[in-house]
Amino acid sequence: MLFLNQLFRSRGNGYIRHFILVMIIAGFTSSCSNDKEASTGSKTGKTIITYWCSSNAHEIALARELVEAWNKGDHPVQVKMQPIPASQSSEEVLLAAIAGGTTPDICSNMWPGAMDEFVNAGGLVRLDQFPDFYDYNIERVPEVLMETFAASDGHYYQLPWKTNPTMIMYNKRMFRDAGIEELPRTYSEFLEAGAKLTQDRDGDGHIDQWLGYRNIKPIWWQRFFDYYTFYVAASGGLTLFDGDELVFENEASIAVFELFRQIYKNGYFPITEFTGDQFIQGNLAISITGPYAISHVEKFKPEGFEYDFFPVPVPDDHEGLLYTYGDHKNIAIFSTTEHPEETWEFAKYLISKQADLRLLELCSQIPIRKDLSIDPYFSEYFNQRTMMTKFAEQAILTRGVDGAAELKEIFDAISQEFEACAIFDARTPTESIHRAVERSKVIIEWNRAK
Amino acid sequence: MKSIMSRMKGEGFTGGLMSLPYIVYFSFFIAFPIGFSFILIFHKWNIITPMEWVGLRNFIRLFSDAQFFKAILNTLTFLVIHIPLQIIVALLLAVGLNQKIRFRGFFRSLYFMPVIVSGVVITIMWRQLYGYETGLLNMMLLQFGLDKIPWINHPTYAMPSIAIMATWKNVGLYVVLFLVGLQNIPGFLYEAANIDGAGPVQKFWYITLPALNNTMVLVMILSTIGGFSLFIEPFVMTGGGPMNSTLSAMLYIYNQAFYFGHMGYSATLGFFFACIVLLVILIQKKVVERD
Repeated sequence: MLFLNQLFRSRGNGYIRHFILVMIIAGFTSSCSNDKEASTGSKTGKTIITYWCSSNAHEIALARELVEAWNKGDHPVQVKMQPIPASQSSEEVLLAAIAGGTTPDICSNMWPGAMDEFVNAGGLVRLDQFPDFYDYNIERVPEVLMETFAASDGHYYQLPWKTNPTMIMYNKRMFRDAGIEELPRTYSEFLEAGAKLTQDRDGDGHIDQWLGYRNIKPIWWQRFFDYYTFYVAASGGLTLFDGDELVFENEASIAVFELFRQIYKNGYFPITEFTGDQFIQGNLAISITGPYAISHVEKFKPEGFEYDFFPVPVPDDHEGLLYTYGDHKNIAIFSTTEHPEETWEFAKYLISKQADLRLLELCSQIPIRKDLSIDPYFSEYFNQRTMMTKFAEQAILTRGVDGAAELKEIFDAISQEFEACAIFDARTPTESIHRAVERSKVIIEWNRAK
Repeated sequence: MKSIMSRMKGEGFTGGLMSLPYIVYFSFFIAFPIGFSFILIFHKWNIITPMEWVGLRNFIRLFSDAQFFKAILNTLTFLVIHIPLQIIVALLLAVGLNQKIRFRGFFRSLYFMPVIVSGVVITIMWRQLYGYETGLLNMMLLQFGLDKIPWINHPTYAMPSIAIMATWKNVGLYVVLFLVGLQNIPGFLYEAANIDGAGPVQKFWYITLPALNNTMVLVMILSTIGGFSLFIEPFVMTGGGPMNSTLSAMLYIYNQAFYFGHMGYSATLGFFFACIVLLVILIQKKVVERD
């Protein structure tokens, strides 16, 4: 203040003085008006709650539409929608927001794998305290799946919303041209298809068409779309943990590592970095992806491009149901909210039938509803989109990730071993899986030590 | 007391006031982070839950962390390739650009351009150049009938490839430093050498190089510090792979802090790593610097 006092008393700096004065007043008034708007809603006099949605264009469009409709209705609160701030990952932003006390009232981009951290930090509202929580969820969510969303204290802090079952998208023309009539269901058939589809089309001595491609960077979440998807399928729906115990040192893990070792060894997947979508460009026969890929392919595909989906292949001796990894995203209410009841009402609106239908239509993503493929409300949508029907049917046979605080580090350990074994053939699958488990145990021991 | 007060109200006060911005900056952005990091060394903290006192357990973990030592080894490998390459290329370019050649100003600007371009942009560009299947470099090799090289997709090649890219990006700065050094060498030394019948190589070896010793020390120290902070290139280009061959110490510290939320442990790693950097700089200074 002394500095300002001197500045204003000194002569010959009138412009600077006025500029600073204007800036201070502008800053002060704008901060005041922001505060006012955030708490009470300056125009309507209603309370405003803040809603963060995912930052992808389709989901922003969905959120905008839903929020507009909500705000037009007769509700005690108005909603201010905002895409989650840009960062490496949503979890990073949410952690920073919890640390800084700047969380929104509600967010619909909650990854179950990070929930434990948020819960431990006291950042979330317990949702099973609301009397109608179970009514809503018993109707929508398969019981086994619901259990995977419980926190370690047995309570629920997330409202199951949507899933993206991972399946194999394939180029129908390539499969036809390679003489593949039956879609591969087992590892042997998958490798056989790889041998037929990996080709040197222009005869220059270099492969220019591959079975598929996966990002080879040893980044933990990349393993969701190769190792983990295939592991969930091969193990008949297991995740990495059973309670507090690590259970992924098993035949299924070894079989998946061996499958990818064969794939890379035979060059069916290239060890490289691609720019651009090589699947749409017709250089890859398959892509391991979710239903959200449909909007993307439909937008960018060349004329005559034919594609479809099939379930993730399983080991030759596999018996039973075909599970896959479902990239779940749920809804949570943050403990910074001053209006938990009203926010809960908005959360229920986000999972209403109307909202779920718009989720399908705008985002090509699957709402978690156990009767989705048979519910007459959605039948018109699915009758027109047979590919989405496959995802809707697969959705009830999905597994997410465990809600363990160490999950990222465990996937990092798996990622490193996957790279060493499957991509560079430096270790056997058995050895690699064992090393990943041992490292995971050290990580858990360190993190949980008191 | 009175005189102190009166001095404070006079020039001293004005001086203090003018230093205030830096004092504020220093307090918030240097002193506080360093002090806080030091406190973190003895704690376990993931930002959102309260800090937990762990004493020296972070150090015990550090000394059994093989991956961290692998990251340090990778960083040293990078330095061993990068520093000599940087100095040789920068020196040769500086000597060339110190001659009376056409478009000298243009070339000096050209070599400096990568220095001012964002590291992320350059890394993305080089990632495309290095691409195994579709990269420009491998396309050129194929044109010459040679085999493709897995520049960033094989543990043997990845770190040297990153070192080449880092050299390309930073060399302009060191060219400028060497140019300043070259222009400060008195001309009479070369005249005397000419009279004595010395050739260009002898003049370079016996006059230019010894006269550039101070610049050489500066370049080595700057590129060593720069090399130890290797982060953007592996972060954007390889993610530390293949098989951890490009996992630099800074990238590992970053991952521990911001991917896995081990703030206390990463502060310990940072502290330990800073000690190593200091030690290397001291050794380097001792070995290279001459009177």
